[in-house]
Amino acid sequence: MSAPIFGEEASEERADTARLSSFIGAMAIGDLVKSTLGPKGMNKILQSVSTGEISVTNDGATILKSVQLDNAAAKILVNISKVQDDEVGDGTTSVCVLAAELLREAEKLVLAKIHPQTIIEGYRLASAAALSALEGSAVDHSTDPTTFREDLFNIARTTLSSKVLSQDKDYFANLAVDAVLRLQGSTDLDHIQIIKKVGGKLTDSYLDEGFILDKSIGVNCPKRLENAKILIANTSMDTDKIKVFGARVKVDGTGKLADLERAEKEKMKAKVAAIASHGINCFVNRQLIYNYPESLLAEHGIVSIEHADFEGVERLSLVTGGEIASTFDRPDLVKLGRCELIEEIMIGEDKLIKFSGVAAGKACTVVLRGSTTQMVDEADRSLHDALSVLSQTVKETRVVLGGGCSEMLMSCAVEEVARKVSGKKALAVEAFARALRQIPTILADNAGYDSSDLVSRLRAAHYDGQRDAGLDMNEGSIGSMRKLGITESYKLKRQVVISASEATEMILRVDTILRSTPRKREAH
Amino acid sequence: MTAAKALSDAIRTSLGPKGQDKLIQTSKGETIVTNDGATIMKNIKALHPAGQMLADLAAAQDIEAGDGTTSVVVLAGAFLGAAENLLEKGIHPTIIAEAFTKASEKAVEYLTEMSTPVELKDRTSLLRAATTSLNSKIVSQYSSTLAPIAVSAVTRIATSTSSNVDLRDVRIVKKIGGTIEDTELIEGVVLNQNVVVSAGGPTRIEKAKIGIIQFQLSPPKPDMDNTVVVNNYAQMDRILKEERQYLLNLVKKIKKANCNVLLIQKSILRDAVTDISLHFLAKLKILVVKDVERDEIEFLTKSFGCKPIPDIEQFTEDKLGYAELVEETSKAGAKIVKITGVKNKGRTVSILAMGSNNLVLEENERSLHDALCVVRCLVKKRALIAGGGAPEIHVSRLLSQYAHTLKGMKAYCFQAYADALEVIPTTLAENAGLNPIAIVTELRNRHALGERNAGINVRKGLVSNILEEDVVQPLLVSTSALELSTEAVCLLLRIDDYVQAR
Repeated sequence: MSAPIFGEEASEERADTARLSSFIGAMAIGDLVKSTLGPKGMNKILQSVSTGEISVTNDGATILKSVQLDNAAAKILVNISKVQDDEVGDGTTSVCVLAAELLREAEKLVLAKIHPQTIIEGYRLASAAALSALEGSAVDHSTDPTTFREDLFNIARTTLSSKVLSQDKDYFANLAVDAVLRLQGSTDLDHIQIIKKVGGKLTDSYLDEGFILDKSIGVNCPKRLENAKILIANTSMDTDKIKVFGARVKVDGTGKLADLERAEKEKMKAKVAAIASHGINCFVNRQLIYNYPESLLAEHGIVSIEHADFEGVERLSLVTGGEIASTFDRPDLVKLGRCELIEEIMIGEDKLIKFSGVAAGKACTVVLRGSTTQMVDEADRSLHDALSVLSQTVKETRVVLGGGCSEMLMSCAVEEVARKVSGKKALAVEAFARALRQIPTILADNAGYDSSDLVSRLRAAHYDGQRDAGLDMNEGSIGSMRKLGITESYKLKRQVVISASEATEMILRVDTILRSTPRKREAH
Repeated sequence: MTAAKALSDAIRTSLGPKGQDKLIQTSKGETIVTNDGATIMKNIKALHPAGQMLADLAAAQDIEAGDGTTSVVVLAGAFLGAAENLLEKGIHPTIIAEAFTKASEKAVEYLTEMSTPVELKDRTSLLRAATTSLNSKIVSQYSSTLAPIAVSAVTRIATSTSSNVDLRDVRIVKKIGGTIEDTELIEGVVLNQNVVVSAGGPTRIEKAKIGIIQFQLSPPKPDMDNTVVVNNYAQMDRILKEERQYLLNLVKKIKKANCNVLLIQKSILRDAVTDISLHFLAKLKILVVKDVERDEIEFLTKSFGCKPIPDIEQFTEDKLGYAELVEETSKAGAKIVKITGVKNKGRTVSILAMGSNNLVLEENERSLHDALCVVRCLVKKRALIAGGGAPEIHVSRLLSQYAHTLKGMKAYCFQAYADALEVIPTTLAENAGLNPIAIVTELRNRHALGERNAGINVRKGLVSNILEEDVVQPLLVSTSALELSTEAVCLLLRIDDYVQAR
């Protein structure tokens, strides 16, 4: 006999059932993104159910963000990939795959009647060992600018080689390194603007110093302006309306109406005069500028740019150092933006405005070109990943080796530890080592190579003392990653191991899944 | 992949001078007759993602080169076919993608090498390129009329140093009436709008002073809500009088500035002109054109060298533009406002496109656009190559020679890429009703014997030196078609999964 405890439609899953459902969910997610891993990874088409828009991507975070899920563990995995995206910007697929593999191993242990807490204990030991091994292998070149640049370049290449840009990775790696080095250590990627324009090919993309605004210069203004003093504003340049609801004017003749109209125009004129009194020669407004004020501004010799959007105005204020003003009574208090040159440029068939020689010298713009919208969007995502990894590397300058080398290194270190551990946790530690080895296995599988052969050869190489051995994906053999220049950021790898083991631990600890009653929607 | 190939097959028949046209019925029920690849792809509205990507590809080619939009899709289809065969052999898609990219780089190299540089002053070369582009369109009979127009339009805008041309400075005005032969390049400006004649104003003004106004000649209307309170009949009368007086004042001020041609910008808030103001303007012999769009203002001010006037207070003589003659003429049943003899002319060009019906007219405009783009390509990259399938065969031959020097799977991919390139001459021959196998093999043979400019002479139905037939195309069109289609195919190749997303 059971008494109803839960409300209608609320459900409970317990012990093994709960564990099973979270394992399955997490593994399904892992398998979903697994094929995108590595330089020979494949892309996925995402089609939105609601709008039918499509995008092509192999960015783990983007894929996971857009799939619909109804599984608690799967959602946790999505979450860690998002965190990885925010923290480092890349490795979103790796973190997911590693977590899924750790869970797969844990499932086997659970079936062998090992208590989840014991597994967790073993995993903790293992991840500590893995991290210390990783730290031991990290090298730091930050003192030597040329080798450091080379490191950055290699990291960018490694990141990009697993993306859509892989064919032109050298070109884009250079571009990304240049952009990040301009930032001079800041991780604020807002300074790097990415403009996407369909048309042309990928290698037509370029890095431009300064800032490009996707708008056009007002009618009747010079299309080129040197030594610009810019006032950035967010104000209505149609007419200043009284925003009281129902405010009306009652008149008894057309003449008075005409007077009223004139008064409005006079007010506008006064406003323009106030703006002009700032001693500027360029006026950028977020809102529309009507014809009348536009021509008044032109008469004052001020170049006007209208409708620059929130984003445009904010970036412009960031890069030119000007403040966004909305009142113009106190010219002395407003900080003006400055730049050396404003000019109109053409990209494809569109005209854009370029601000060069801006106050924030670190600002720059990347113009991305490509054959299709999907291509450009994916290029944008890839470049963003590369940029964020690089900017993180500038901060945490240590680098490790890629190509499955670091994973194998960690795996070996964990196996060493496992030998010394007594009790059932030793099994869990071994399992951790196996899960780490899955990463090179998947890399090889995705490239269509014989993974069992390659990975065992790789392991043998590592036990032989070749600590820089990894998978050479072009040749399908084992090679020195240091010679091939396949480098990854230490922070990225560390974050992957930490996040994945934490997430695994969290999911393992779960023994009951409670589902509350879905919120009822009122029928219309 | 099947979807993409199906699409490319669909538009394949429209390639080349003997290509067929497509009739498209849009979702709105309009009919379009065209053989412009980009237009077809845009209107197909493919459901499948791969199809959408091909449509995008055609659009990208349209932006980059403006012509060759059919070729780019056909090429992409052929590459996909080649890739499919390779996949069946068990070659990994990423390897194919890599090899294809390398092959396209090589191909571009070969193309560049076989091209001949051209000067912008060399009008005959430009003409030949424009004619070749026009020959594959519906309007091909009129290529001798349209090609010179396109060439003169672009050369007028471009300077010898410019690396790009903004085609927005070329304005194509479409009027139904007459035939395509009546299409002409206007020395001056043509307006989309007609002269307002309802109040009996003039339609021809010599020594015109043109003013472009952005305010309205109608009763005042402030931005605040307002009500005019009328208490009695006398007041109503007074209001009417005031209104007349107000308008008369405006018109008088305009006359005072010696303006005799008035272009009025369209306004969404209120009427641009009223009957009364039109009447006054007609009395003062001022020619009026209304409903000028806001985005036309920039072009017009640039052409006339005048400034737009947003307020009556600023209506002064120095803001006006000057032209010898403004006249509304009737040509083959269409009324056209022509403004000629403009002083201080900017770098703009107007083309008057004519056509007997809407479908022909639209296609005429598209073809002109393509021809303009072809000439623009020559400004961007000043080199010409032969047409008629000659470059494709040339590159295909060299690539397969190069493939023999490679080893491993790459060699296979290069060979497949080279074979895929033959789709262009094959399709050209097929569409012309020739035996594609005989023609392509002969072509290959002639190339192997060293005639690198041998191509398909579609008109005569045989293989000949295509340069002597004046069939040439800009290098940029071919290279960008190759590069773009390879890029898109590589993206498609790497897809292994299809996920429904939110």
